[in-house]
Amino acid sequence: MTGQAKRELAEPLPVRKEACRVHSARSFGPALTVLLLAPLLVLLLLGFVYPIAYLVKLSLLVPQFDTAHYRRLFSDPLYIDVMVRTVKIAVAVMGLSFLLGYPIALVMAGKRRRLSLLAGGCVLIALWSPVLVRSYAFIVLLQRNGLINTLLHQTGLSATGLRMIYTEGAVILAMTHILLPFMILPIFVALRAIPHHYGQAARNLGAGPVAAFLRITLPLSLPGVFAGCVICFILALGFYITPALVGGPGSLMAATLIGQQVTVLLDWPFAAALATVLLLSTLLLVLMFRKVLATSRGFDHVH
Amino acid sequence: MRTGTKYRRRVVSNLAACLLLGVTGGAALANEVVVATTGGAYEKALREAWFDPFTRQTGIRIVTVAGSNSQMRSKAAAMVAADNVTWDLFMQGEIQASSDQHRQVAQDLSDFCRQFAGRADLPGDTCTPAGVRLLSNATLLSFRSDAFKGATPETWADMWDTQRFPGGRAFPNFDDPWRVMAAALLADGVPRSALFPLDIDRALAKLDQIRPAVSLWWKTGDQSVQGMRNGDYSIGQIWLSRAQALKNEGLPVAWSYKASFLVSDRIALLKQAPNRENALKLAAFWLNSPEAQAKVCEALSCTPPSAAAIALMSPQARATMPSSDDVKTYLVVPDSQWINAHAARMLERWNAWIR
Repeated sequence: MTGQAKRELAEPLPVRKEACRVHSARSFGPALTVLLLAPLLVLLLLGFVYPIAYLVKLSLLVPQFDTAHYRRLFSDPLYIDVMVRTVKIAVAVMGLSFLLGYPIALVMAGKRRRLSLLAGGCVLIALWSPVLVRSYAFIVLLQRNGLINTLLHQTGLSATGLRMIYTEGAVILAMTHILLPFMILPIFVALRAIPHHYGQAARNLGAGPVAAFLRITLPLSLPGVFAGCVICFILALGFYITPALVGGPGSLMAATLIGQQVTVLLDWPFAAALATVLLLSTLLLVLMFRKVLATSRGFDHVH
Repeated sequence: MRTGTKYRRRVVSNLAACLLLGVTGGAALANEVVVATTGGAYEKALREAWFDPFTRQTGIRIVTVAGSNSQMRSKAAAMVAADNVTWDLFMQGEIQASSDQHRQVAQDLSDFCRQFAGRADLPGDTCTPAGVRLLSNATLLSFRSDAFKGATPETWADMWDTQRFPGGRAFPNFDDPWRVMAAALLADGVPRSALFPLDIDRALAKLDQIRPAVSLWWKTGDQSVQGMRNGDYSIGQIWLSRAQALKNEGLPVAWSYKASFLVSDRIALLKQAPNRENALKLAAFWLNSPEAQAKVCEALSCTPPSAAAIALMSPQARATMPSSDDVKTYLVVPDSQWINAHAARMLERWNAWIR
């Protein structure tokens, strides 16, 4: 950081402290705001905007401007079907993560200290173990002679064993397990920010525990839910290794399709077209999602 | 002051020594070959039988980089496109080696190959402009011999015959579907000589018949091994190297050369390879040392390029190799030109069929 920036940071602070103002972005001058944002902006421009622009260029200039790759993509039902399936799986993973993750986040944010520590520890350990290891763990669990089938066999519940590995259900299960921490942590943060006496006040005014949760806690935690859902959804769209390992031939996903074009056929322009379509549809879905949640009650009242 | 000069002199001489070391160190650094391999047991065998003896003889160090075949292919293409080549040699499947993309990435070895033209122990296509043959691997029909009493499956038609040979089936589902389509066509009665160009429609129609019986579509070699161990399938189209590994474990596994495809791996020289001369020396060393080839193929159950190498292999290893009669009548060598020309279309049809 430059000397000038240091001075700017150092000088106004005592004044602000006296005024008891929160140090939010609004309290910085425009020059300092730009300066603070500059490293991130440069990183984003070089590491994100430039490659994406290059990708789009690659898909459209072959070598003159031509939409042939996009026409091929939209004329063959295969590619659209795979895109739609990818979105469906991502939505299923997101929904399942929400249903399983919200109660865990509630426990973590709850007042029973030991229980919340235990839950938090489990979530973080899961987050820190590598994706590849967890995908292989699911093979061990789900395969024909795996733990679950052995258990079913020994308890006499199923003589032949269930076919679980290499199915779409296995993909959704493994992906949900991997993405669960990304859902739990934002919801946990949102729940922690809600003062406990809001709930107590609701109970005081005659609301039952269910009503207090539905009308106070849940609406106030929606920003966390939104953040968790968006993170899970976007990460699920790009999953590559897990569907390849636990999925069968029926679970061809967009990332696998793009990988085939890049590494097997070396058709990078077409891969770029596929990636661009995936990116645009992701952006569109996230925008739609935001609109839906923003109109719901409570969302606008939380800062 | 006197000690000061002494000290300074020592510093200078130390610096000079360092510089000298640095220069020779730099030279030693350049005295190497960078080879991209698929790693694992494959690389270990190559290192023991080929790289290490070569280093002992010439003093040229071999640095290896590991990656999957497709990763190597795309990385090599990216390096040449970016004009920043750090590898010398990389492995390429026989089919990919005869593609246009390969020609854009690899150097033409015509001049280098001339020295092997008259060799009696090497078939004519051992050294081609695209690269030097490393070894050949079979993909074939393998089965659990404890699953069948009496007759055992021998041909692709037997694999389709779920009445006589009940049980699950396994086929590969990586991004290279010609092997499965070719097996379907052979099972449907297409003679070996008329296999290429592949009739994709007919192959997929034949595959529709077996689809309900397929219990494993394997993506990695490990899946095919794990499936055979677990009894997920009783007949599968898998790599001979993996079937051999299972047999070595003591599992009742057998295979049939009457249903087999033979595909080579080549080693190719990248354009603008930084250590071109050394890399060519390494390639020549391979073709000139049947001992090294025999040792590698003994470890990996593959077929070496040189006939002299086959003669050097142990009787047990030779017993698992296809006989010359098998090669003449049954073994299918793919039409690389056709496969390359139709790779995109084939994969598109395959993706549409399999999902």
